[in-house]
Amino acid sequence: MKLVARKISKSYGSLQALQDVSADFLPGEIHAILGENGAGKSTLMAVLSGFASPDSGEVLLEGSPIPLGRAHECRRLGIEMIHQHFTLVPEFTVEENLALARLPSLASKVNITDLARPALEVGKTLGWQLDPAARVGDLAVGVQQRLEILKALSANAPVVIFDEPTAVLAPDEVEELFRVLRRLRDEGRTVILIAHKLKEIMSVADRATVLRLGRHIGSAPISDLDERILTQWMVGELPNPSARPKQVCTEEGERFEGLTILGDRGQVSVRSVSFSLRRGEIVGFGGVDGNGQVELAEFLAGVRPAISLLSGPVRAPGEVRPVAYIPQDRQVDGLALEMTVQENMAVVGTRLPSMTRGPFLLARRLRAWATDLIDRFDIRVSGPDEKVRALSGGNQQKVVVSRALSEQPSLVVAVNPTRGLDLKAAQFVRDQLRSASDQGAAVALFTTDLDELFKVADRRFFMSGGDLKAADRAEGMLGGSSA
Amino acid sequence: MISALKRVFGTIAALILLLGVTLFVFGIPVIEGFSLIAEGAGADKFAWSRTLVKATPLLLTGLGMVVAWRGGMYNIGGEGQFIVGGLFSAALVPLLLKSGGAQVPAIAIPLLLLLSAVGGAAWAWLAAWLYVRRGVDVVISTILLNFVAIQLLAYCVTGPLRARAGDVPLTLLLPEALTLWRPDRQMDLHAGVLLALLVAVAVAVYLFRTKAGFYVRLAGESVRVARANRIDAAAMRIQAMLVSGALCGLAGGIEYIAMARQLGTGFSQNWGFLGIPVALLSGLDPMVAVISALLFGALFAGSENLARFTSAGPTLIYIVQALAVLGVVALRSFLSRRGKKPSVQAK
Repeated sequence: MKLVARKISKSYGSLQALQDVSADFLPGEIHAILGENGAGKSTLMAVLSGFASPDSGEVLLEGSPIPLGRAHECRRLGIEMIHQHFTLVPEFTVEENLALARLPSLASKVNITDLARPALEVGKTLGWQLDPAARVGDLAVGVQQRLEILKALSANAPVVIFDEPTAVLAPDEVEELFRVLRRLRDEGRTVILIAHKLKEIMSVADRATVLRLGRHIGSAPISDLDERILTQWMVGELPNPSARPKQVCTEEGERFEGLTILGDRGQVSVRSVSFSLRRGEIVGFGGVDGNGQVELAEFLAGVRPAISLLSGPVRAPGEVRPVAYIPQDRQVDGLALEMTVQENMAVVGTRLPSMTRGPFLLARRLRAWATDLIDRFDIRVSGPDEKVRALSGGNQQKVVVSRALSEQPSLVVAVNPTRGLDLKAAQFVRDQLRSASDQGAAVALFTTDLDELFKVADRRFFMSGGDLKAADRAEGMLGGSSA
Repeated sequence: MISALKRVFGTIAALILLLGVTLFVFGIPVIEGFSLIAEGAGADKFAWSRTLVKATPLLLTGLGMVVAWRGGMYNIGGEGQFIVGGLFSAALVPLLLKSGGAQVPAIAIPLLLLLSAVGGAAWAWLAAWLYVRRGVDVVISTILLNFVAIQLLAYCVTGPLRARAGDVPLTLLLPEALTLWRPDRQMDLHAGVLLALLVAVAVAVYLFRTKAGFYVRLAGESVRVARANRIDAAAMRIQAMLVSGALCGLAGGIEYIAMARQLGTGFSQNWGFLGIPVALLSGLDPMVAVISALLFGALFAGSENLARFTSAGPTLIYIVQALAVLGVVALRSFLSRRGKKPSVQAK
């Protein structure tokens, strides 16, 4: 069945997630949706499948409008969504999970085996042997995804949407998935696929639509496209790197050689990289999320140890130098949401010798310091005692930035410091980083926003799979060749 | 603070209602029952003394809960820490008597109290260590350690600390000279009441005016934020448990040297458990905890009077206690559900 999105707009608070996006999805076609993080792919899919209700616009299935924002109705009409995050019950068996998707109503008597049979039959036609009695939590990720797919296919839905299905799969599992996608297409179904790996798209999709910052950039048959065009559509024209006068950095700075860092699960996240940081210079680290940026940033901030470092800045044992750290997720690592603005600032303020006497805090000085930061950084709050949770995203970020940069740090580590901010707030944060650098700080800016990387950083690296490459040699990595 | 007081007095109103229903069910004339409770809690100086003396262990164990919970450690082990605190003090007494230290109360009494705090802290440390090293849920370990403490107490009073073999299982009676000072021999009111009040102020200063207290609260709010700022959240949580255990242990020590003077198997009358509703009702604010401890103290003193003069008997005391705890917990979840709605919309 033909599915048409017409002039869809959707905003979350001040964030415009989608703006007048239109696209046609045809039967017998694998249609890929591409875009960077935050481009609006998932929002569009949520609208198509009824999980989100758009502010304006309509969705037509074979010419008649579907009920917007009503997932259950959409499923009944034959639009199935396979979520990026599994919707399986780990404690249940395969059979029980498959039956769960088909429960007629809570009151009726059910036979699990009967309910699960259609899905298992579909599985057999795809060549998947599944043990109905296996506990889902014990299965490999790829097998769990098969279940997720079977749940959707058992109803013979004519429209099937896959939300980043390859993100969690091993290469051979990806091949297997694509075989299924092609088969669904050949059966005449409408297949929609969200992905951000260009190679995969080129190999499986028939048509591609690119979104950028909530807008529709282009749609075309895949035969008319190549990776270069898609990349350009996704990230826009590369800004001119020489837009900013180059800083003159005479100092050699701190050089790190052969730095290796482990991630949370003990995997090597940063692999023997070498670079230097110089005072008065902003060094940008770009690349797709999850390629070791956070681990490297945490190492520089003194939060995560390195497992090997061939040579690096010499420090006295136990010495922690003042680092201004702006962590990636302000609501998780940056701020204690239930504490007040002043208390969140005091996280850094209590380190300052002038704010304490012995074990005691000098409450009046801390308050004056916090009030001053609120003024200087123009943070919109009713007062220092307001809970941080009540602040807008931009003002929350200003709390993080203000406390970090207030005391002229010698090193600033910032991870996606402008993510989720509106233009004005983002510009403010960038200006603050620049002025910290002008005052002699070495700034390490980790960002997935290419625009920001080229506009703000004096020197650029790209991170990919834990490796570091200088930006001039990294053209081929644009658009996310790895994740 | 205003909203905290509102909550406290709202709870009092709700409790009075509940209590009225209970009295009715027990067949006690409701008005008469209330006047007996009020009499027992504050009719004269003796009643006031009883209220204050009961509020004291409640305040200290309540403060213990406040500190631990502020640090994100859900310590339910106040009872065990209270008992071990009393035990540590009691274990010192034979030594004091033998060495002649009992002759110098000015040294012996602080030493006894200090030891009780150390005992409580040590007991709480076990749970903290299990949590930090092995990830054992504090709620579970502290509850289980309560039972271990109760058995430890039973062992000590029937074994090594027993005053005389063959007699009732009790420890040596604490010499009169080593008990806490009382302004009036006829009343139970003792210096521990004042000490508990001072401790409440100290806990407020600790939590809100010291670096360590601030980091404890931060670690309680968000381990991730603490980590990103190079603050050792595990160490802060251990500290919260140590302070919490020390406060509960001190409660046990005061109860021992001011009131009980010897330990038996029934040493603690649920003081550690009753600290939980005191802390909940205070909204984890040490100064409001003073008020909520007084409220519970009055209620218990009053219900004793009620039990004495009616046919219902001492069982009624436990029913009143249970009602108070349930009432506070229910009211709290009701209020927090109501309070949550606007914040969701604001998002």
